Amino acid sequence: MLSLPVAAPAAAREYLQLYVMQPYLELHTGPGRGYPVTQVVGRGESVEVLMRRTEWFKVRTERGVEGWARGSELLLAQQADGTPFSFNLGDRAGFADHRWETGIMAGNYAGASMVTFYQALSLTEHLKVDLHAGQFLGNLSNGYVFDVGLTHVFMPQWRVSPFVSLGGGYERVEPKATLAAPTDSSAQNGYIGIGARCYLTRRLFLRGEYLSYEVFTNNNSNEVKKEWKVGLAFFY
Amino acid sequence: MESRSGILLLSVAVMLGCSGCALFHRHRNTAAAPVQSSPEADASAAPPSVIEPTVQRRTLHVPRIRASNVELGAYFGELSIQDFGAQPVKVLRADYHVTEDFFFQAAYGYAKAGKTSAEILGGYRLLSDAERRFTYYNLSLGYNFLPGEVFIGRHLAMSSSLYLIAGIGAVKFAGDQNFTVNFGSGFRVLPTDWLSIHIDVQDLVFRSDVTGVNELKNNLQATIGAAVFF
Repeated sequence: MLSLPVAAPAAAREYLQLYVMQPYLELHTGPGRGYPVTQVVGRGESVEVLMRRTEWFKVRTERGVEGWARGSELLLAQQADGTPFSFNLGDRAGFADHRWETGIMAGNYAGASMVTFYQALSLTEHLKVDLHAGQFLGNLSNGYVFDVGLTHVFMPQWRVSPFVSLGGGYERVEPKATLAAPTDSSAQNGYIGIGARCYLTRRLFLRGEYLSYEVFTNNNSNEVKKEWKVGLAFFY
Repeated sequence: MESRSGILLLSVAVMLGCSGCALFHRHRNTAAAPVQSSPEADASAAPPSVIEPTVQRRTLHVPRIRASNVELGAYFGELSIQDFGAQPVKVLRADYHVTEDFFFQAAYGYAKAGKTSAEILGGYRLLSDAERRFTYYNLSLGYNFLPGEVFIGRHLAMSSSLYLIAGIGAVKFAGDQNFTVNFGSGFRVLPTDWLSIHIDVQDLVFRSDVTGVNELKNNLQATIGAAVFF
């Protein structure tokens, strides 16, 4: 007879245990400031941290009661070995110094409306590698722009911090079918730009920039295109 | 000589390169590793203690906290394509909750347009079947305007939120693609921490001349769907 393998019982998930050091920790019924407080965990008692949603942590008390604790309050708790619990909830310091950022922007590219998604990797507080993917939609033509560039932020610790950028990439233009004998074309491009970032709250910030593109066409002269765009982004 | 100077230059370049790699290792939150002095160094620095503790310090394993901020969902509903009738629509959405108030959303929708009244009455075709495909994407920002709780019976309370949402994107329809602004409102209710049910109404507005006049087209969409939190 074939002996069927017996499934090993799944190992119980291990949760971070924190000890309340403040007079009490309030537990809300949901992950938001307006949800009612139905439980309180006293000083010296412990909670298990089950999960996080935005800046709220779902915890379970020693009595097995579950509720949501505000991140800023949970930061006052300690781990079992006495080290304080630390977690980056997103603040001005994080705005200056973070690893990644992602955003969406709307704008105008050489007269056409522009939709842009961007991703940035911080090499230092000042220097970032930007990746932009955009689609422009105009009366005469549509198209795509993909760029990689470097951005230098001058005063990252300022709430409004200016930056300059430099990069290049690829542009594809698809003329609208209403034009005579439309043909798609693609070309490499390079750009320089200036802009500013403005911290809003938590992980959110505004970003606006003005770029001057040099499109390296097959014609005798290169084409210069101007772009401005503004949008919202978050860092992490 | 040339090879020696070459090696010298190369090693300088490697050293500079290694120091340059430090650029990639700057983390504000990186905790400095505790410096442990060797027993020999202790012996030379201080006289041996009478009691030597034999208890070995254990390294504490800190479990990771699971983050659950991403929502992926499928939605179905009706899209009223201006001049082309209301048609079923399928939408895929991904949400990322940045704070308890704000979230980003990326959406892709698909519908097939019907006929205009002129086509029905006149008996001609304005668009081919391929041109009747109505697809769109948008990137939006949402705001949890009225968070709250809903109750079913006496024992079940579910967190919920009425949200406002607005964004930009593009609609591909009638052989053309146009810049689109979308805005609307939705209601999200969470039966469990990992599942959400959405009812959502949005207007997709774009400029088009498909019916002969260049005008803003309002395309109202109502959907219902479910999403899973990751």
